Amino acid sequence: MVSVDRETERRYRLTVTANRLAPFPRVAAAASQEERILDAALVCIARWGLAKTGLDDVAREAGVSRATVYRAFPGGKDAVVEAVARTELARFFSAVERRLAAADTLEDLLVAGLAEAGTRIASHGALRTLVSFEPEQILPLLAFERMDRVLAVCTAFAAPHLARFLDETTAARVAEWAARVVVSYSSWPSVEVDLTDETSVRRLVRQLFLPALETSGSTP
Amino acid sequence: MRTRILEAAYACVSRSGMAKTTIEATAREANVSRATVYRYFPGGKDELLAGVVDFEVLRFFGRMTDAVRGSTDLLDVTGASLAFASRALAEHVVLQQVLRSEPQLLVPRINDSTNRLLPIVRQFLAPFVAAEAAAGRLRPGVDPRLAADYVARMALTYANAAGGWDLGDPVQVRALVRLVLGGVVEERHGNQADEADGLR
Repeated sequence: MVSVDRETERRYRLTVTANRLAPFPRVAAAASQEERILDAALVCIARWGLAKTGLDDVAREAGVSRATVYRAFPGGKDAVVEAVARTELARFFSAVERRLAAADTLEDLLVAGLAEAGTRIASHGALRTLVSFEPEQILPLLAFERMDRVLAVCTAFAAPHLARFLDETTAARVAEWAARVVVSYSSWPSVEVDLTDETSVRRLVRQLFLPALETSGSTP
Repeated sequence: MRTRILEAAYACVSRSGMAKTTIEATAREANVSRATVYRYFPGGKDELLAGVVDFEVLRFFGRMTDAVRGSTDLLDVTGASLAFASRALAEHVVLQQVLRSEPQLLVPRINDSTNRLLPIVRQFLAPFVAAEAAAGRLRPGVDPRLAADYVARMALTYANAAGGWDLGDPVQVRALVRLVLGGVVEERHGNQADEADGLR
């Protein structure tokens, strides 16, 4: 009976955490063993950071044995961390994609995409812990040549959606611009723009950016 | 004295990297005692390294403002700054060297310095934004403060990584400036626009 209570409590905590990290209903109702381990790892990273998170912590948080973690991830901690990063990126992009696909105008698409991305980054517990306490683990990904790679990925992701409203070249350039806006305003908070607030994002998009596309958007 | 210590620390970084730049090595290079270095950097090595990065970031920004001194308006100064910064960063030997060998030591500190650089870039751009407003070229409804903050961020992000743009090509620089600033100021016509190449 005790274990049922613990299981209930654990599931509750997982749900709370998952909701905090991803404020939209998870697609899969019952998490597989693997997902459970990854969710647990995410909770541990948010709480203790990357360096201090051990597989024992992850196993305890997931309510499974250490052997079970190793069976699911034979590569150990590195494999778990890599899988967490991959899963979180997939969650992030699919959530943003849902918003992009649902937008009816270029303005709405830009506003929804920027706000969704900005909000998810700002409220991501594990990411915040890393940026605050272990910046060396994450910030080098956003500098110079490596930022070029991030921009290329984001451009490939968002450009097809923008192409509903813009020619191909402009769509790619605007997609890249949007990725830069997210990174800049997320990395260095601004008194002028709050990406977690759609009204504030709309002000930026409508006031400063869209008029440029109306006059000279499709020139090469 | 602070500058002398920072110059010495910078020389150490360029010679042997950030991990090996100690208080001791810096003191030797500057020809001062360890106690003197600690007087200016009581936080020790960590504070010294943060100081060096700040120092070089600001010195770089100073070189850039010198390079774009002839710029006449906001489009012009943005294009010229981007062209200069992207070229000068690529040619910055010490930066590229440390970025390859010790990115985990360097990048978080550049990130912190950028936080301090942003208001400086904003201040640098503010008179250009004000001049556009005075000339009636600012688009209706544009808030000058929002605009200055936005342009500063855009300048930094495109200088950091050019992405799909070739900032060595004046035509592309012009297209980029038009994309990023076209919403802030009215499009110019004729020869003036051609001067916005930003390369001189």
